[in-house]
Amino acid sequence: MAQQRALPQSKETLLQSYNKRLKDDVKSIMDNFTEIIKTAKIEDETQVSRATQGEQDNYEMHVRAANIVRAGESLMKLVSDLKQFLILNDFPSVNEAIEQRNQQLRALQEECDRKLVALRDEVSIDLYELEEEYYSSSSSLCEANDLPLCEAYWRLDLDTDSAAGLSVPLPASPEPSTGPLQAAAPAHSHAGGPGPTEHA
Amino acid sequence: MATYSLANERLRALEDIEREIGAILQNAGTVILELSKEKTNERLLDRQAAAFTASVQHVEAELSAQIRYLTQVATGQPHEGSSYSSRKDCQMALKRVDYARLKLSEVARTCEQMLEN
Repeated sequence: MAQQRALPQSKETLLQSYNKRLKDDVKSIMDNFTEIIKTAKIEDETQVSRATQGEQDNYEMHVRAANIVRAGESLMKLVSDLKQFLILNDFPSVNEAIEQRNQQLRALQEECDRKLVALRDEVSIDLYELEEEYYSSSSSLCEANDLPLCEAYWRLDLDTDSAAGLSVPLPASPEPSTGPLQAAAPAHSHAGGPGPTEHA
Repeated sequence: MATYSLANERLRALEDIEREIGAILQNAGTVILELSKEKTNERLLDRQAAAFTASVQHVEAELSAQIRYLTQVATGQPHEGSSYSSRKDCQMALKRVDYARLKLSEVARTCEQMLEN
């Protein structure tokens, strides 16, 4: 049998009060019910008249019935307090609940990142074709020294000038590390490298 | 709500106890009502009274067991665990997805404009 740890006095007092409330309420229900059954017995000899005795018995039964209901209500309150105490102080179940929640959230995060990586791979293929079309058309304003974006993605050892030119085609991204596509640029250059999460 | 297994079992047990307390009061009322009749059904009376006594004893035993478990498990310290970090990571992943969707919609809009022109 597990030994009882030294609880703080407040917690121990609280649990003892729960025990006391339980015992008192159960005793109240049983005693009052028993007394009602006893009072229901019809007696031939009474000290007062039958009508008076009947009124007295009626009143007594009402009071005892109210006591039973009050004890039942008190038991419900005790159960509610126990539920609250359980939620706050039952560490094994709280730990398990936190662990389950963490697993759910991690699974969702991995799903999102996996789909983003798949999206990145698909979009990079389409982007290559779009850039081919753009740079070969007459509307392109690039100079001979500028690298096409697709070429910049596939170069492993870019110098700093090429790295500065990397941010030019995406003017809407304020920082190079926040956007998934831009973050995927150096990551994609590594073979099957980690996704945007790792880079961020 | 239905994701906690161990905690849910104890909470479910406490909810069953709540229902049983309601049944206790109902049994008591049925017994007294039956007694008030001129012709009492003795079998029903005995059955209800036995059910009442058994329910009261069962509720007392269950609640004592719960209080005993809490006495063993409670430490008096607040629980300081949280799922905040994984929640934040998940939130950032959803933000990344939203950002990617935003950028893709911009690209799609640009392509449509080019096609119209």
